[in-house]
Amino acid sequence: MPRVSVIIPTYERPLLLRRAVESAQAAGSDIEVIVVDDASIDDTAEACQQLNGIKYVRVERNQGVAGARNIGILMSTAEYVAFLDDDDLRLPGSLDMQADLLDRHPGAGFVCGAMIMANQDYEPTCEVVRAKDPGADAFWKLLELEFPVMPLCALIRKECFLRVGLLNPRISTIDDWDIFTRIAEIYSVLVTPEPVGIYRQPTPLSGQGSSARAAQLERVTRHQLNLFRLPRAATASPVRRKQARSRMIRRISENLLWTAATRFIPKFQFKPALRNVWTALRIDPFGFIRPQGYQKLIKHLILRTGVIRRRTI
Amino acid sequence: MATVSIIITTHQRPDRLPAAIVSAQSASQDVEVIVVDDASTDETADLCASIKGIRYVRVERNQGVAGARNIGLVASRGEFISFLDDDDLRLPNSLDEQIEALSHAPEAMLCYAQAIPEDAGGKRQTPFPEHCPQGDIFWELLAQNFIPCTSVVFRRSCIGRVGLLDHHRNRIDDWDLWLRIAEIFPVVGLSKPVVIWRQPTPTSAQGSSNTVELIALATTHFRHNCLRMPRVAQASRRERQQAWRAFSINFAEHLAWEAFRGLCDHKLGRAFASTRTLLRLHPDAVLRVPRRWMRFSTINALTRGLRRGDLENAKSKFKHMART
Repeated sequence: MPRVSVIIPTYERPLLLRRAVESAQAAGSDIEVIVVDDASIDDTAEACQQLNGIKYVRVERNQGVAGARNIGILMSTAEYVAFLDDDDLRLPGSLDMQADLLDRHPGAGFVCGAMIMANQDYEPTCEVVRAKDPGADAFWKLLELEFPVMPLCALIRKECFLRVGLLNPRISTIDDWDIFTRIAEIYSVLVTPEPVGIYRQPTPLSGQGSSARAAQLERVTRHQLNLFRLPRAATASPVRRKQARSRMIRRISENLLWTAATRFIPKFQFKPALRNVWTALRIDPFGFIRPQGYQKLIKHLILRTGVIRRRTI
Repeated sequence: MATVSIIITTHQRPDRLPAAIVSAQSASQDVEVIVVDDASTDETADLCASIKGIRYVRVERNQGVAGARNIGLVASRGEFISFLDDDDLRLPNSLDEQIEALSHAPEAMLCYAQAIPEDAGGKRQTPFPEHCPQGDIFWELLAQNFIPCTSVVFRRSCIGRVGLLDHHRNRIDDWDLWLRIAEIFPVVGLSKPVVIWRQPTPTSAQGSSNTVELIALATTHFRHNCLRMPRVAQASRRERQQAWRAFSINFAEHLAWEAFRGLCDHKLGRAFASTRTLLRLHPDAVLRVPRRWMRFSTINALTRGLRRGDLENAKSKFKHMART
């Protein structure tokens, strides 16, 4: 029985897939790579036939990333599960290191490592995203979006899925946040400062990516209310819930305004900037009482200059 | 490794569960019984700890039947999968027979068979469905879900090709999965009862409001999802219309029956709800139902059944006659 299953959902990216698979195979000594081909209609199937030592599952009808990951979980035989996107990379030895950590801490649900950011050509942008150790409070930190976990840097105990359920395919793009929060509700969480993966950033200033981000953050605020129904949040005091809610909303609206101010306006992209401001106003209508975010926006509107900075939430 | 995994989902029913487990163990020579306990808060866990030879999976947060079945699928290791509810009973050796039937048809992914409905009083009725079509049953299945969920044995590998159960489609999740399988693969039907299917008391008001709700769910699913399935979307307009007509008349008949029974039982609310749903969802089928019912033979069957006071039996007989 292999030790770690790496699940790679793929959709019409046969050229990138090879690199991802090879990086996964080099990331540990006893790895089972499961490629879930989410109903691609190009030559992904042939490309996968040329790859050695993988388990290839072809889904006939497109399931979305979460659905494909669920199928990967179904096909996996290992004790630990890692998710990898077809355009990201795992660092050599990273899976063994994370699996050792989980071996040593049987009460932990998943271990989260650091992630190296790279551009479209896999060249590192000298930025490493590290999560601060949330301690025993990972569940609330996750609920408040204060503890970001990327699926790329996590190694998850498969048993978790049997106890909290599978990924939710209905909430596309935030299914990872949802499952990590649900796991953290009953398991403890480990964090390691070591980088474990390379994240290939989408083209940074493409309009589509940014509007998708605003919509995604809006979905996050809506879905938080569903997560409040988890017993641990539901039995907490209303004050605690309210605090988590307001922290998250403030965080998201500030992030939206910040992106609008520092990224879109200096590039004269007023449409996505307006969308961000509109979303921020909608989810946080009382934000004008705390005007810091808007001040920043107005300053940039006037100056129309600014350093492009990236900030992850 | 066991050949067949039987997944029993349970929630707060420790009184019925042991019988289901025993029946599952007797259903095949080489069976892995997986009990998925969907966050029960009673003595189910202790009970399962005392039963030998099962795999007990406890889900901490309630997932619903489909979610629990998905978890059972992840935990399972058999090549074939079957679902069982905690109050149903598998007949002895029935799984082996179905696997045998599947092994004769290597390209088929799913084998279903008949179920014996048993009401709360322990009275058994004629096995359902009466005819078990085989091969490409996609269009028939689209018109009506005639596959009893617990009678099905399917290959685990086909889940990788069509996807897991959709736990957001509660109560029609099984129909949805069978449709996705039958869309691509041929199906084996065995005209033989394999499972005893305990039904909730049919006359309880809750049961029938559930029926109306279920029909509304299925209709929405048909309109929004089934019509978009590649095979339906690629079919000719005539075929699609035929599929809708067959689906519509089947459910219109159900609803008309519910309304009729509501009137018989002097439950006007129920009759009204059924009629309203009927007019809202299947307005075009309204005229076709009475035409079908107006035949002498069907009316005869109905009155005979009514005189004996056996409504359920009358319904099945009468529907059978209406069809032939």
